[in-house]
Amino acid sequence: MSYVELKDIRVSYDNKANILKDLNLSIEKGELVSLLGPSGCGKTTTLRVIAGLIEPNDGEFLVDTQNLTKVPVHKREFGMVFQSYALFPHLTIKENVAFGLKLRKEKKNSIEKKVKDILAITGLEELGDRYPKQLSGGQRQRVALARALVIEPKLLLLDEPLSNLDAKLRLAMRIEIKRIQRQLGITSVFVTHDQEECFSISDRVAVMNKGVIEQFDTPEEIYNNPKTEFVARFIGFENFFELTPTEEWNYKAIDGTVFHSTRDWEPGKHTGTIRPDDIEITRNSKQTENNMVSGIIKVRTFLGKSYQYEVETPIGKLLANKTDDVVYQVGDEVTLSMPSHKLIIV
Amino acid sequence: MTQRRVPYLILAPGLILLILFLVLPLISTIFPTFFNGGFTFSNYTSFFLDEYNFGIFWRTIKISLIATLICVVLGVPTAYYISQSPKKWRGLLMSITLFPLLTNSVVRSFAWITILGQDGILNNALMNIGLLSKPLTMLYTEFAIVIGSVYLFLPLMVITLVGILENIDSEIMEAAETLGANRLIAFVKVILPLSVPGIIVGSILVFTGSLTAYTTPQLLGGNRNIMLATFLYQNATALGNWQGASVIALIMIVATLIVMKLFSWVAGRMDKRGEASA
Amino acid sequence: MRKNIGLKIFAGLVFAFLLVPLFIIIVTSFGTNSTIQFPIKGFTLDWYSKVFDNEAFMDSFFLSLQVAFFATLLALIIGVPAAYSLARHKVFGRNWIKSFFLSPTIVPGLVVGYAMYQFIVIKFQFPIIQGLFLGHFLICLPYVIRVVGSTIEQLDFSIEEVSWTLGCTKLQAFIKVVLPNITSGIFASFMLAFINSFNNIPVSQFLSGPGVTMLPTSLMNYIEYNYDPSVSALSVILMLGTIVLMYVIEKTLGLASIS
Ligand SMILES: Nc1ncnc2c1ncn2[C@@H]1O[C@H](COP(=O)(O)OP(=O)(O)OP(=O)(O)O)[C@@H](O)[C@H]1O
Ligand SMILES: [Mg+2]
Repeated sequence: MSYVELKDIRVSYDNKANILKDLNLSIEKGELVSLLGPSGCGKTTTLRVIAGLIEPNDGEFLVDTQNLTKVPVHKREFGMVFQSYALFPHLTIKENVAFGLKLRKEKKNSIEKKVKDILAITGLEELGDRYPKQLSGGQRQRVALARALVIEPKLLLLDEPLSNLDAKLRLAMRIEIKRIQRQLGITSVFVTHDQEECFSISDRVAVMNKGVIEQFDTPEEIYNNPKTEFVARFIGFENFFELTPTEEWNYKAIDGTVFHSTRDWEPGKHTGTIRPDDIEITRNSKQTENNMVSGIIKVRTFLGKSYQYEVETPIGKLLANKTDDVVYQVGDEVTLSMPSHKLIIV
Repeated sequence: MTQRRVPYLILAPGLILLILFLVLPLISTIFPTFFNGGFTFSNYTSFFLDEYNFGIFWRTIKISLIATLICVVLGVPTAYYISQSPKKWRGLLMSITLFPLLTNSVVRSFAWITILGQDGILNNALMNIGLLSKPLTMLYTEFAIVIGSVYLFLPLMVITLVGILENIDSEIMEAAETLGANRLIAFVKVILPLSVPGIIVGSILVFTGSLTAYTTPQLLGGNRNIMLATFLYQNATALGNWQGASVIALIMIVATLIVMKLFSWVAGRMDKRGEASA
Repeated sequence: MRKNIGLKIFAGLVFAFLLVPLFIIIVTSFGTNSTIQFPIKGFTLDWYSKVFDNEAFMDSFFLSLQVAFFATLLALIIGVPAAYSLARHKVFGRNWIKSFFLSPTIVPGLVVGYAMYQFIVIKFQFPIIQGLFLGHFLICLPYVIRVVGSTIEQLDFSIEEVSWTLGCTKLQAFIKVVLPNITSGIFASFMLAFINSFNNIPVSQFLSGPGVTMLPTSLMNYIEYNYDPSVSALSVILMLGTIVLMYVIEKTLGLASIS
C-alpha cells in the first residue's frame, strides 16, 4: 500500500452533479505529484479533500495506513499553500511562520530555532520582522511555503502557488520549491494548469478531466505516451483521425490508407494522433505509401522558429510544423508522412 | 453532525432577544387593536374617518414629502460639488456635513427655536433692518417643522449621494460637454439620472425619518401642529388612550414599509428604463 | 478646470445653512442675559458652570454614557459572532435572518420604546432601566450586523482555512485570525452604535421614569420650560464631544468608514 491513498472519492457540492467521480490516487512517500488539468476539472477540489477542507460524499482517504477520512482539518497536520498565499495580515513574517508551532505548544527556544532554520532555507532571514504587506509577491510566496513547511507536515499541499508570479520568478520559484521538497523529503501534491511547470517539477503527474484522473504517470510517459485522447489533446497532440484496426499494430484510415504504429498496441483503440512537430512534410510525391497522406495547404502561420501548415487531406484537417528552409505556399499540394514510431493510437 | 448546528447556536441569542423584546412586544401591543368582541378593522377605519386624526396623518405625510423634496433639491448639487472638489477639500466638506449629523437632534432643533422664535434671531434681524414692523410667527408652525426636518436629514441625503456620485466617472461629464451640452444641461441630463439610485436611498431615509420623527415636531411644532409620533405620545401619556397609541404605532410601521417598498419599486423601474435606453 | 460659480455659491449657502445655527448656539452660550439673545451682550462662562451644577443634567449624562456603552457592548458580543456566522456559514434562510437582525431600523424608535414599555415594563414588571438598556441594545444591533458583516465579507476566507490546516480549531481561528483582522469594523460599529444610542430620543421617551432619564430627554424636558443659555452651554459641550469623537474616528479609521 502506498503512503497516501485516495479510494473511490466522490464529491458533489450541492448533491446534484458529481465534481469528483470515484477518484483514485496513490502517492509514494517523498514523491511530488502534480494534478494537471483544465480549469474546473476538480484539481482544487481534490486538494481540499486531501486537506480535509471538504468532506467527500463517498470514499476513503488514508495516509500511512491511517484512515483520515473523518479527521477534521486541524488534526491532519498537513501544510497547505494557497494561491493567494493567505498570509495573516496582522502578524509579522516570523509570527506567521511560528503560528502553527505555537499552537502545538512547543518550547519557546525550539520555536525560535525552527523558525530561524526555515527562514534560512527559504531565503527570508532578513525579512522576519516585516508584515506581509511590506513584501513582494515572490517573498510572500516563500513565507507561505515556510509557514507550511515549518510544522513538518506529513503532506505538503500546494494550490497553484506560482500563478500570481511573473514568468521569470515562477521559473526560479519552481526550482526552489523542488529543491526544498527534495531536501526535506516531504511528500507533496502540487496543483497547476501549466504543463511545463508541472513536467519540470513532478515525479509523477495525474492528468485530470471532469473529476476523474485520465492518466497517472511520470512526466516523460505522459509526454510521450498519452493514453487517452483527452490527455493527448491536453499536452499538445493536435492531429486526430479515425482509424479502423485491421490486425495488431495495423490500421486503415477512411480513405483506405494503411497506417502502422510501433507504439503500445491495445485492442479497441482507434484514433490516431501525432504532434504537428512529428509530421514530415514534402512536395506532393503522388506516391501512396503507408503512413502517408496528400493534401492541399489551406493556411500558413508563422510561429517564429517554424511555419505551421494547415493541410486539408482525405482523412481530415492536419497540422504540421516545418522548420527547414523550404517554404510552401497556400494552395500547394503536399504529402504528409507520419513515422510509425511517432504515431500514437488512443 | 453537531457542526451543522453551530451557526444556529451562534445566531440564537440575537434572535431570541429580538423576538422577546421587539417582536413579542409589538405583537402584544398591536394585536388587541384588531379585536373588539371579534376580529375587526374598525379601529383603523375610524382612525382615518375621523377628520382630526386624518388631518394629523395628512400633515405628517405632507411635511415629510416637502422635507424630502427640499433635501433632494439642496442635496444633489451640494453632493455633486463635494464629489468634484479636490481630495484635500473633500475631507473637510464631508466633516462639515457629518458634524450636524453626529450632533444630538435636540441640540439641532433647539438651534432653530432660537432662530425662529417670536423674539428670535431672525425676527430681530429683520426688524432691525426695517423689513418687518412686527415679528412674524414662524416657530410652532408647519414651516418650522419642515425647516427642522430638512436641517435634521439633509446631511444624511448629502452623504448618501456623495457615496454614489464619487463613483461616477468625471470623464462622463466632460464627454457630455464636448458633445455640446452646457454645464447645466450636462448636469441635468447626465449626473441627475446617474444619481437616481442615491436619490432614492436618500429619499427613503429622509421620508421615513420625517414620517416617524418625534423630536422635531415636539420641539418646533408646538401643540397645534401634531404629527404621528407626537400624537402617539400624547395618546399614550396625556390622554391615556393606549388603544389609540397602538393604532398609531401600527400605522407608522405600515407607512414606513409602504414608503420603502414604493421608493424601491420606483427605483427598480427607473433602472430598467436606464438599461433599455443604454 | 473651469470653475462653476453658481454651483459654488449654492453649495456655500447649503454649508452655511448647516453650520450657522450651530455657530449661533455656540455664541449664545457666552451671553450674560438670562434669556438667549444674539448678538450677545457681555461675556460669561457662568452658563457652563450652571450645567455642571445641574444634577438632573449630570445624572442623565452618566446614565446615557452607561446605557450607550453597555448596550453597544452587548450588541457587539451578540452581533459580532452572528455577523460572522451569517457571512461564513451555510445558514438556512440567511437573507431572512439578516433582515430580521436589521429590522429594528425599520420600526420607528418611538414605537420600539412604546411597545417595550407596554410589554416588559407594564406587563412583566421589568424595572424601567432594564427596558431602557434593552431598547438601546435593539437600536445598536443593526449597526454591528451591517458594519462588521461587511468587514468580514471583505476578509480573505483562505486565511481562516490556512489557520485550520496549521492546527486551529474553528473557535481558535475566529479568535486568533478573524478578530484581529476585523478590529477596524468592530471599532467603527462601536462608534456608530454608541453615538446613535447616546443621541437617541424616541426609544427612551417612554422608557424613562424617576431617576431614569437619558441626557437628550432631560435636555428636551428642560427646554420645554426654560429658555436660558445653559441649554446652549450644554449643547456646546455635546458638540465638543462630537468633535472629539470625529477626531478619534478620523485618526483611527478615517471618517469615510462611518459615512
Ligand atoms: N463551493 C463550491 N460550490 C459549488 N461548486 C463548486 C464549488 N467549488 C468549486 N465548484 C465547482 O467544482 C468544479 C471543480 O472546481 P475546482 O475548483 O476543483 O476546479 P479546478 O480544477 O481547481 O479549476 P481551476 O484551474 O480553475 O482552479 C467546478 O466546476 C466548480 O464550478
Ligand atoms: Mg483551482
